[in-house]
Amino acid sequence: MLKFGLRQAGIFALGLLGALLLAAAISALPAGRAAYPGAFLQHLLHVAQFDFGASVLTGNPAVAEFSARMAATLELVGSGALMALLIGIPLGIAFGLRRSLRAAAPLIQIVAAAPVFCASLALIFVAVNVLHWHDLHYDGTDLFQVLAARDQSQLVHAFHIFSLPAVTVGAVGVAAVQLVLRGAISDAADEPYRRNLKLMGLSAFEIERIYVAPQVVAHLFAHLGDIVLALFSAAAVAEWMFGWPGAAYLFVKSVALHDWNVVALILLAFTAIKLFADFIGALSAHALAHPESAR
Amino acid sequence: MSMAIDSPHLARAQTLLAAIRTTGLIGLALIAILASLSDVIARAPADRAGYGSELQSPSMLYPFGTDCLGRDMLSETLHGLAATASDAVLAMIVTLIAGGLSGFVLARLPFGTGYVPRGIAGVLGSVPALLLAILAVGILGRDFAPYAAGLAAAPLAFARAFDRARALGESPHAEYARASGIPVSTLLRRDLAYEFRDQFIAVAARALAAVTITLSTMSFLGFSAHRDLGLVIAAERSSYLAAWWTAAFPALALLVLVLFARLAATLEEGERP
Amino acid sequence: MSETKALIAVEGLTVSRKSNARPLLEDFSLAIAPGETVSLLGEAGSGKDTLLQALVGSLPRGEEASGTLKIRDGSADKIAKRPREGLRIAYLAGPYAKPLSPLASVVSQLSRVIARKLNVPVPAARAEFTLELERLKGAPPVARFEKYPGELDPEILAWGLFAACFAQTPDLLIADDPLLGLGPAQSRALSQILIAEQKRLGFALLYAATGTDIIKRLGGRLIVLRNGRVVEEGPIARLATDQAHAYTRTLFKAMPPLVAKPVQARTGRSEPVLQVHGLEFRHGVGATAAKESVTFELRRGASLALIGEEGSGRHSLMRAVLGLDRMQGGRVILDAVDIGILTSPMMARLRRLVAFISGADDALDPRMTLWDTVAEPLRAHVRLPRSVIADYRESALKRVGLASLPGRRPIAMLSPFDKRRLQVARAMVGAPLLAVIDEPLRGLDAFAQSVMRDLLREFREQEGPAFLVITSDFTVAQALAEDAMVFHDKRIVERGAIADLLKTPKDVRTKRLIEAVSASQQEQKIPSPPPGERAG
Repeated sequence: MLKFGLRQAGIFALGLLGALLLAAAISALPAGRAAYPGAFLQHLLHVAQFDFGASVLTGNPAVAEFSARMAATLELVGSGALMALLIGIPLGIAFGLRRSLRAAAPLIQIVAAAPVFCASLALIFVAVNVLHWHDLHYDGTDLFQVLAARDQSQLVHAFHIFSLPAVTVGAVGVAAVQLVLRGAISDAADEPYRRNLKLMGLSAFEIERIYVAPQVVAHLFAHLGDIVLALFSAAAVAEWMFGWPGAAYLFVKSVALHDWNVVALILLAFTAIKLFADFIGALSAHALAHPESAR
Repeated sequence: MSMAIDSPHLARAQTLLAAIRTTGLIGLALIAILASLSDVIARAPADRAGYGSELQSPSMLYPFGTDCLGRDMLSETLHGLAATASDAVLAMIVTLIAGGLSGFVLARLPFGTGYVPRGIAGVLGSVPALLLAILAVGILGRDFAPYAAGLAAAPLAFARAFDRARALGESPHAEYARASGIPVSTLLRRDLAYEFRDQFIAVAARALAAVTITLSTMSFLGFSAHRDLGLVIAAERSSYLAAWWTAAFPALALLVLVLFARLAATLEEGERP
Repeated sequence: MSETKALIAVEGLTVSRKSNARPLLEDFSLAIAPGETVSLLGEAGSGKDTLLQALVGSLPRGEEASGTLKIRDGSADKIAKRPREGLRIAYLAGPYAKPLSPLASVVSQLSRVIARKLNVPVPAARAEFTLELERLKGAPPVARFEKYPGELDPEILAWGLFAACFAQTPDLLIADDPLLGLGPAQSRALSQILIAEQKRLGFALLYAATGTDIIKRLGGRLIVLRNGRVVEEGPIARLATDQAHAYTRTLFKAMPPLVAKPVQARTGRSEPVLQVHGLEFRHGVGATAAKESVTFELRRGASLALIGEEGSGRHSLMRAVLGLDRMQGGRVILDAVDIGILTSPMMARLRRLVAFISGADDALDPRMTLWDTVAEPLRAHVRLPRSVIADYRESALKRVGLASLPGRRPIAMLSPFDKRRLQVARAMVGAPLLAVIDEPLRGLDAFAQSVMRDLLREFREQEGPAFLVITSDFTVAQALAEDAMVFHDKRIVERGAIADLLKTPKDVRTKRLIEAVSASQQEQKIPSPPPGERAG
């Protein structure tokens, strides 16, 4: 386990270094510093100390711009992840185990084929024309304050604002989680030990519970990074669609306006989170489903 | 071992997969024909305002209705589909060359030097493809949107192809071939030929689906120079709540394109019925 | 035997699968008395597996059984897909069937199986397992089984699987070729244990096998199955010598017994093909590590067998000779060229003189077609017109009996036996100077073994390559080679002409390997070697 952990930590560190180089190269774009090795190296050192300079649009430090927005993105991604786990896991298991439900696969294909922005538009259409919600755009409401105040009309208003972006990101997460789980379950279906242990006298349920389940969960952990990637990708679209004041929206805006310092910082943060998810996922998968780690 | 060969379940699954793949390919072929004939089939040129009266709901005269500027949505959808499909094919080719092919060939570089580009692909693949493509457009300009989308999907394709090539190179049959004197170059050629035969349609279709989604989302967010389906839908954003058809038909066309591409890729591993 | 005394009796068992026109097993009847031994002999697809699964009550989805089953004095009921009540059945699979989950320790899995059968808590079952291991002579201690299946040598795992079955104190033990792939010494030790435990516990034994050696040792009744039907049935004592059916005859003549008569060397003092000078390979680890060096020479048309159990060092030597692993010291000279100084493209060119036939089923590229597999060495090494290549290919395929198969069939669709024969065809077209043959008969059924052995001998006679045969089986060595080196624990313990080794083996480990395959049915007290764990 130690050897594996060190190796994964090494991969994580190298990945971070790569992300740092990428961020430095992007933030060096406007001044053309990337062209001179000496200047670039100096710039890299600044970036390594999280000195990304100022946003060219607001004049505020890029780090301040970023940190003001990142919390909102994490809120969205967090709620999406929660939904992905709560719905995606049972869905994946049901689809994987029940043969009769596998016929639904083409239907899932149709849902999964819809780009996120189309799904958002459909959600908005339903919310406005069927549910008659009219205040969908983010207007500065603080969810935690509303929850503390316990005013019903405010709660309904907050629900209208928060639910659609969360559902958009969550739906993408659900699709990603169930896809990974179904893959894991259909992989495990071919394992020869299932047939043999059954012949030896264990019940099918016992085999699933004790031997198959850890393997499947490990597979989910191994793909944690991919799920995180899907969630952040969806967050970028959802934030844009619903005017959500998050970092992904800021990224899109900053690229359009060539505010490279802010772009570099956001890119670094997203990459680091994904790499960290890969690292944690690999360690957890190894701990769950690799023989050596159990001792 | 022979049990696996004549397993009826396996045979049934294979038949089903072949049917799904064929459906996807036929669908893509139909879309290709539609897209290439869009100028002939469509009654109005792209973005022609005032072709009909405003916000006509679907009817015999305007099967997909008209939008708030009187544009014929059927013509708009056809032109948008043609633009999306041609850009997506260009992006797919970029992904296949910069991703799949390079990954496969670089994996066989001597002394493990291929791990350097593999590491770079790993880092770039940790950025959501959409954001990477937007970044590339931001740097290179909107005209490069198809290349940007293709390049953004390349890191994952590269990593996949690289890992596959390494696994093939270290497989028992590769060692057996080396032991009996088959040169490394023959082995690479052999692997490329078989991968092309067995995987090309699936890999290309998967790439097509991915870049189509990225491209149309980029257009929707305003990062494209072409009036493709993403941009057509974005243009109808203000009116579609009152006139559903203005966005629904272009969105449906986009969905059908992605769906056929994914079916041609015979679904992702876990999606197999 | 009389019906009333039977422990379990099936009548008119037919198992069919919707997609198959022909039933997997047709109108099969069998009664097993308490303590009786019944062996099933047949190749893959003969219906053995189906019968075992039907008896246990665990037929896979999509397979339906008809017929009746009676347990002891109960009524004859329709065969159902559920565990058999009133009869404790233990199922014994071999280590190469990958019977256990790779993600849990061996002892935990086997204890759970014992617990279910004895209806006791898992810790109590574990104690039973420990006791059984202590009782079995030569078995490793229970601590070894704390490991995961992938970390254990198949030989060790086999001990655990056997002990777990005995610990269940079964009424009936169903063994699905549990010795398949194990070395002869280990097979012999375990089969003796099986016989001894059967005597002690009095269980009935239904043993499915692909080879005849173990069946002769077990004795009792034999049923020969082919394509789901019984070909021949009777006491093994009779069938071993007097077979009515041609198929049974082929199965029994697969491996001729060892004879200690000198074989004429095939060639005189021809020029050497392979010279190995002081080739070093290390054994042991750390401070106790010692170097072993080996020197030998193989002349044109000669044949040398490297005999030893799994992990004895034969493979290290083979890999060094093939230039797959870097040598630690010494020289390997192939056709007068020192391979140590060659670059990899030069090595590839030289290797065209070498054919490699491996007993591994994944040696051939599963994506390649039958034709491409055979023609590849020709295309890679010599420029020949297509028609000439096709001629060579056809003639080689004809010689190995595969000419009737569609040439565009992918390797993945071939049976292990076909793949093995295809390797011989591939070797033939290259007209090699040296053929390295690694466990050529491993995992094949008796019929396939017989064909393979004849093919290899014919290959040697007609093409005349020198043979370097790696095997753990003296009968294989005797069939394919004249000289041998015996390996044990990464050391050469004895070398010489096989005929001499058979007559007067000097080393105890050589003796043990010979005794393991001696075709005598008498029990011999052979101390089993201390099983070693897989290195690394």
